[in-house]
Amino acid sequence: MKIKKVDQFQKILLLIIIIYSILVSIKNPAFLHFETIFDIIRTSSTTMIVAIGLLVVMISGGIDVSFMAIALFGSYTTINVMIALGIDNLGIAFLFSGMIGIGLGLINALLINWLKLPPFIITLGTQNLYHGVMTTFISDKSFGAGVLPECLHEFGQGTIFKIVTEDGAVGLTISLVPVLLIGIATWLILYKTMIGRGIVAIGNDEESARRAGFNPFKIRLFVYAYSGFLAGIMGIIYVAQINALYPNKLVGNELMVVAAVVIGGTKITGGQGKIFGTILGVTIIYLLNSTLILIGLSSSWNNLFVGAILVVSVAITSYQERIKNRSHLIFTE
Amino acid sequence: MKKMMAMLMCMTMFASMLAGCGSSNQPAAADSAATDNAAAETEAETEDTTEASAEAVDKSADPADYKVVMVVKQSDSWFDDMVTGVEQLQKDTGLNVSVQVPETGDAASQIAIMEDLIAQGVDAICVVPNDPEALVPTIEKAREAGIVVVTHEAPGTADKVDLDVEAFINEEFGQLFGKSLAEAMGGKGKYAGFVGGLTMETHMAWYKAAVEYIEANYPDMECVTEEPYEDGNSVEGAHDKTLEILKAYPDINGFFDCSAQGGGICEALLEKDKATTIPVVSLALPSMSSTYLKDGSMAHGLAWRPADAGYATCYAAYLLASGQGVETGTDLKITGYESVNVENNIAYGFAPLEFTAENVDDYNF
Repeated sequence: MKIKKVDQFQKILLLIIIIYSILVSIKNPAFLHFETIFDIIRTSSTTMIVAIGLLVVMISGGIDVSFMAIALFGSYTTINVMIALGIDNLGIAFLFSGMIGIGLGLINALLINWLKLPPFIITLGTQNLYHGVMTTFISDKSFGAGVLPECLHEFGQGTIFKIVTEDGAVGLTISLVPVLLIGIATWLILYKTMIGRGIVAIGNDEESARRAGFNPFKIRLFVYAYSGFLAGIMGIIYVAQINALYPNKLVGNELMVVAAVVIGGTKITGGQGKIFGTILGVTIIYLLNSTLILIGLSSSWNNLFVGAILVVSVAITSYQERIKNRSHLIFTE
Repeated sequence: MKKMMAMLMCMTMFASMLAGCGSSNQPAAADSAATDNAAAETEAETEDTTEASAEAVDKSADPADYKVVMVVKQSDSWFDDMVTGVEQLQKDTGLNVSVQVPETGDAASQIAIMEDLIAQGVDAICVVPNDPEALVPTIEKAREAGIVVVTHEAPGTADKVDLDVEAFINEEFGQLFGKSLAEAMGGKGKYAGFVGGLTMETHMAWYKAAVEYIEANYPDMECVTEEPYEDGNSVEGAHDKTLEILKAYPDINGFFDCSAQGGGICEALLEKDKATTIPVVSLALPSMSSTYLKDGSMAHGLAWRPADAGYATCYAAYLLASGQGVETGTDLKITGYESVNVENNIAYGFAPLEFTAENVDDYNF
């Protein structure tokens, strides 16, 4: 029963995507091309990864707004060290950045557990803290394409396949691979492991979860470390894609990811959320963002669209909840 | 009702998140607070000297007595180079000059830093405004407090400051964009232009001059839009919009970027195997774009030396603060600014730089 309802919500999101795509195609037929899908996959791949990490945190009833700072910290520090030591190995880049991400995520979880403050406040604080530590103690210099490890650029420009036509090349980015792997791994964790069940359980009601035998502290440690790990991975992919290293990018874009996850039908109070919904949420935001030039609108329209869809989708989630409660004879108002 | 509460909480959360973002410049403020003590000392000294300056100009001209602070736009390699120029000035003259770097590239964080400097009572503030109009009230406040304010890259608000220093006349630099692009495109075809943001005055001036130059001299060339595209001063912005422009205008033949993010355009063109057929002319830093110039995806890089501009701007601020003044013919002690041309409160140097694959290695910024 419950699963069916969520699917209905995802149908609404799909419907929005389809209707919007049709409208854009009518206005500008250039939109109807495989290239469009491939371009959206490439530009949205980094956001997909952190959105999945954030989804896991939000299902557990928490929130993380420090993931962009973690992504920047992990990738910037790792690549800085790689440049200094002359290391040119993609595996090491991902490994180190991911490890830094896990470390910073664990700090988040420990602070939340120790101070017993809302995760939002803690991660808002650590967001500034991590970024500040990085720019103060590590470095705040920018690096251009020439000095970055060559493997990064190869990965950033890499494609799974590439069709070369007379109008130029159309390729499917290799960044899709980590996104898929992470999506599958997250699905397995959420639905096939005890930890996953625990995440949903503490998101619904921490006390009940505790009495059922789950350890909320351990689950929280896992959730924030996982979000940090994905942020670290995402940081490297981001740098590979833009092929330059800046100390001040990413941070400040958290809200857009939170919006995408909420649009995807995730309950901000925890206990409910779907990976596919999150993917649809990110897709909607990028679809809106990357069609404004095609339909000839200025970029401020993007904010208008995203805001409207955010409000509508939150309203729908809450309405469905009410219907469900009524059918179970639960009256909360 | 519980759900309604949850909804409300969610909304407040977003609101407080936005509020939270605004406070991200706090570390910078804390930084400058650390220099408070030092500033208070120099302030005491300079108060003495300014009183004395009425009688003996020579004595107060000692650069070590003046505290000049430069506020740049943000931290990137362009402004990193400007910092090296300012440090060079300190070594050359002994002027008490330092640089404040806002964490985010917006007017709000620059205003916060300036407010802080006004409270410290420095002698002069040099600023490269992110949004000149937005800074005017703060600039006026600083000048009322007796602080000399010198801007760079803000000719439109030159009447509100003590002096504005420019590397060149913006129209001439913009024409250089137009000329380079037209030559790279062979004088015909469709093109599109980027600026960092529509409020960025110099970017807009170059954009307009470039488009006007092309219209006047190359009738076979056509700009695809009336307004420039905004890359938001970010490489990914330039990259993502280029992908979209390529779809919307498949017959496009050239790009130019008045913001130093041409690398993003080149990355997008490389992805589509169009790097060799579609030329890109961009404001550029050698360190950030030498790869693109060498692999042929960027035809020309245009710039001026940020280090020299920072040097000249801070030196001009010192000259004004010490009462020596800046007028046509004044030497700001650095290449391109040996004899500035002052018009309507703007000091123009003549220092454009043009990079190609051949000469890009001669510059190390």
